[in-house]
Amino acid sequence: MIRRLGFDRFSALYLWALFMLYFGITKHATFFSSTTFKLVLQENVIVGVLALAFLVPLATGTYDLAIGAQMSLSLVISSTLAQHHTVPNLLGMVIALVACGVAGAVSGFFVVKLNVNSFIATLGMSQVITAVVYHTSFQSINSPFTNSFESIGAGNFLGVQRYVWYLLVLAIILWFVLEHTPAGRFMFATGGNPEAARLAGVQTNRLVWSSLIVSGVIAGFAGVVYSWKVGDYDTTVGPGYLFPAVAAVFFGASQLKGRANVWGTMIALYALAWGIEGLQLTFINSNWVQPAFEGVALLLAVALASYQGVIRVRRAKPNATPDAPGSGGATAEAGGGGPPVVTSVASSAPGSDAEGHTGPLAVTHGADESA
Amino acid sequence: MQETLRIEHLSKTFPGQAALIDVSLSVAPAEVHALVGQNGSGKSTIIKILAGYHQPDPGASAWVDGHPLQLGDGEDAQKLGLRFVHQDLGLVGMLSAVENLALSVGYRTGFARHIKWSEERRMARQALADLGVEGIDVTAPVAALPPSQRTAVAIARALVGWEDGAKLLILDEPTATLPDDDVKRLFEVIHRLKDRGVSILYVSHHLDEVFELADRVTVLRDARKVAETTVSELDHEGLIELIVGHQISHGTSSEVAVGGDAILSVRGLWGGTVEGVDLDVRPGEVVGIAGITGSGREDLLGLLAGQTPRLAGTVTIGSVEVANFDPRAAMASGVAFVPAERSVRGTIGTMSVRENLTVTDLSRHFVRGRIRRRQEITETEQWIQRLSIRTSSTEAIIGSLSGGNQQKVMFGKALRLHPEVLLLDEPTQGIDVGAKEQIHQLVDEAAGEGMATVVASTDTDELVRLCNRVVVMVDGRIAKVLTGGDILPERIEHIQLQTSRRAS
Repeated sequence: MIRRLGFDRFSALYLWALFMLYFGITKHATFFSSTTFKLVLQENVIVGVLALAFLVPLATGTYDLAIGAQMSLSLVISSTLAQHHTVPNLLGMVIALVACGVAGAVSGFFVVKLNVNSFIATLGMSQVITAVVYHTSFQSINSPFTNSFESIGAGNFLGVQRYVWYLLVLAIILWFVLEHTPAGRFMFATGGNPEAARLAGVQTNRLVWSSLIVSGVIAGFAGVVYSWKVGDYDTTVGPGYLFPAVAAVFFGASQLKGRANVWGTMIALYALAWGIEGLQLTFINSNWVQPAFEGVALLLAVALASYQGVIRVRRAKPNATPDAPGSGGATAEAGGGGPPVVTSVASSAPGSDAEGHTGPLAVTHGADESA
Repeated sequence: MQETLRIEHLSKTFPGQAALIDVSLSVAPAEVHALVGQNGSGKSTIIKILAGYHQPDPGASAWVDGHPLQLGDGEDAQKLGLRFVHQDLGLVGMLSAVENLALSVGYRTGFARHIKWSEERRMARQALADLGVEGIDVTAPVAALPPSQRTAVAIARALVGWEDGAKLLILDEPTATLPDDDVKRLFEVIHRLKDRGVSILYVSHHLDEVFELADRVTVLRDARKVAETTVSELDHEGLIELIVGHQISHGTSSEVAVGGDAILSVRGLWGGTVEGVDLDVRPGEVVGIAGITGSGREDLLGLLAGQTPRLAGTVTIGSVEVANFDPRAAMASGVAFVPAERSVRGTIGTMSVRENLTVTDLSRHFVRGRIRRRQEITETEQWIQRLSIRTSSTEAIIGSLSGGNQQKVMFGKALRLHPEVLLLDEPTQGIDVGAKEQIHQLVDEAAGEGMATVVASTDTDELVRLCNRVVVMVDGRIAKVLTGGDILPERIEHIQLQTSRRAS
C-alpha cells in the first residue's frame, strides 16, 4: 500500500501537498499570495546552494561539514576585496570561490592522503576556516557591499530575484553530471563500495578529493548569494545554514531514487520550506518552529525509507538461492568502512547474501522489482 | 581413567549435505589431541557444535569428565570447562588486553562501581604470566600488539577464571597467521598448560605441528572419522594418506589447444604471503593456484591485479609491464579480475545490476557528452542472457540476486573488457552447485576465446575440473606444478600439506 502510492519515494511531495492544502485553508489569504510564494522561493536559495555543496561529496561517501565555514570565508573575502576599489567585483568573487576551493583541497588532503575520516577532517577544517574568517574580518572594516556588486545577482528576472535562477542552473548542471556522466556514476560507485569501485578501475581517491574541492567552491557560491541577498555580512552566518542544508540532502535522499540526488534534495528543501512558512504564519514570533520542523521531518523521512528497505530485504530473502551450507560466503565482513551509515539496511538481515556495506544514504527501495 | 572429553555418534546434516557422519572423539586428561582433515571434512563443524553455534542431529551424546554435556549448548560447554580460541581470535582490536579479558569475566569494581584499574592491570599481567608470556603492554589496544601476543591474550581470555574449572582448551588454527618464532612461543604456552593438566584439542593444517605437539590425532575425511591414533605410530606420509585418502579422479579437464608464447609473465613476485613466484601463462591456458591458507594462494591474484601492493617483482602482459597497486592501470594493460569475497570487493550494494556491470567501462556508452542509458540497458540485457543471470530486471538492486547470480554479474563486468588475462579469485566461493557449473562453463569459454586464465581456489575439485596446469603453493612459493593427467585432487592435497615452513 505504502509502496503503491509512492509514500516512500515521494513522501516529500505528499507532505508538500498536505501543507498547501492545510495552510491554504487556514491561512489562505497570506499563504497563497505571490509575495509569500516569492519569499519562500528566494529565502531558501542559500540553503539550496549549500545543500548541493553537501550533496556532491556525499555521493562519494564523504561528509563535508566545512561548507558552512567555507560560506563565511567566501563572504569575508569578497567583502574585504570589495572595499579595495581597484579589484573588480567579479574578480573578487572569483578569488573568494578559489579560496573556498583551496580549503576544500586541504580537507581532501587529510581525507585522501592522511586517511582521516571525512567527518572528523572537515569538522576540524571548519574550525580552522572559521579562525581565518575571524582573523580576516577583524582586520577589515565591516561595510556593506557596493551596488555594482549586488547587481550581478540581485534584481528581478522573470518575476523573481536572479539568484533563484542561478540555483536552478547549478542544480541542472549537478544533476547532469551526477546522473548522466561517467564521473557521476563513478562517484556513486565510490560511495557504495569504495574497494569494489577501486578494483573496477574507478579512481576513487581522485573523485573524493575533487568532490571536496567542488563542494568548497559551491559553498563559496552560497556565500556570494548571501552577499547579493543581504548586502551585508556577518562572520557567524555560515554554520547556521548547515543543518537545514544537510537535512534537505538526507530527506531528499529518500526521495525519487534510493540514494542522494539533486531533485530529491530540491523537493525536500522546498517541501520543508513551505511547511515552515505555514507554521510561522500560524504561530507568530516562533523561532522554535524551524528547527523543530526540520528535525522531525528528517527523522521521519529517513526512518520511513529505512523501514521500506528492511521490508525489501525480508521479502527478497526467501527467493534467494541459499548458499551451500557451511560455506558462509563472505557476508561476515559486511558493514565495512566508510563514514557513518544512515541506513545500513541489508546488514540487518544476517545470513542473506544481500550486501551490507551500504554507504551513506543507501536507502534501498524495492519499487523497481515488480516481482 | 576418566576422559576429559568424550563424544559419540555425532552427526550433523545441513540441507543437502552431511557435514558429520557418526563421528566419535575422545580426549584424555592433559593430552594434546590434534584434529586434522581437508577443508570441508567436518573439523570446524565439530568445533561449532561444541561451542554451541550448531545443533547436532539427534542421537549424539557427549561427556566432559564424566558429566553429560548438552551438545549445541554453548553455556553448558562453558560451565563444564570447555574453552575456545577461534581462528579469528575474537578480540576487540580497539580495546586493551585488560579490557578484552574483562569482556568475559567483567570488571572488579569498587566504590560507586568505579573500575579498579590498577588491580585489573595486575590481574591481566598475572593471567598472561601464568601462560609464561611476559612483557606485554596490557594497556595498549590489542590491534597494536604483534600476532603472537594477540594469540596469547586470546588464550588468556579463554582461560581467565581458570580456577572455575577450565578442562579443555580448543584451539582452531591458532598458527594460521603466526610467524615462525611466534609459533614456537605458542607451543611453549601449550606445553605449560598441558603440564598443569589441561587438555588441548588442536585443529591445524600444518602437519609438522601435529607431529611436534600432539599426543594423539583424529583424522576426518568426507564427514567421517577415518582414524584415531597415537601420533608416534604415524609418519608424515601415513598421515597425509589418511587425510587425503584415495579418491577416484574425475578425469582431467578438457584438452584445450594451448599454444604460442606466454602472454602473462610473472617474475620474482613478493608481497603479502607470497615470497618469490615466477609464473607464465599462455593464451587459452587455464592455470590453477592451489595451497592452504597462508601459502600465498590467497594473495597471488590480488598482487597481479593491483588489489594489494607488490613488494618486488614484475608482471608483464605481452611486452607491457603491469603497474603496481593500480587496478585501473592493470585493466588498461589487459587484466580483468574477479576478486574473492564478492560482497566486500565485488558488488556495489547500493547499485543496480546494470550499474554494477558497466562500471568497469562506461566510456563506450558515453556518447556526445552523456551516458546513453538505452544503449547501456541493451548491453546489460545481452549479458543477462549470455550468462543466464536470473534477475527481475536490469534495474534490480544487485543484493536482490542470489549469490551465484551476483557472481555471474561480476564475471560479466570482467569479461566485457575482453581481457587478455582473466584472474579469478575463489570464483565459486559460497554459491550453489548449479551456478557453480555455469561459472565453470564460462571459464571454459573464456579460455576457448584465447584468454589466459588464472584461477586461485581452495576447492581442489574445481581446479581439477578447470585447469590445464595447477601450481601448488607452499609457504609463499611454488612447491610443485602439475599438468595433464597428474592433476588429481589427492595429488594437489598431498602436495599442499606435504611441506611446511617449519619442515626444515
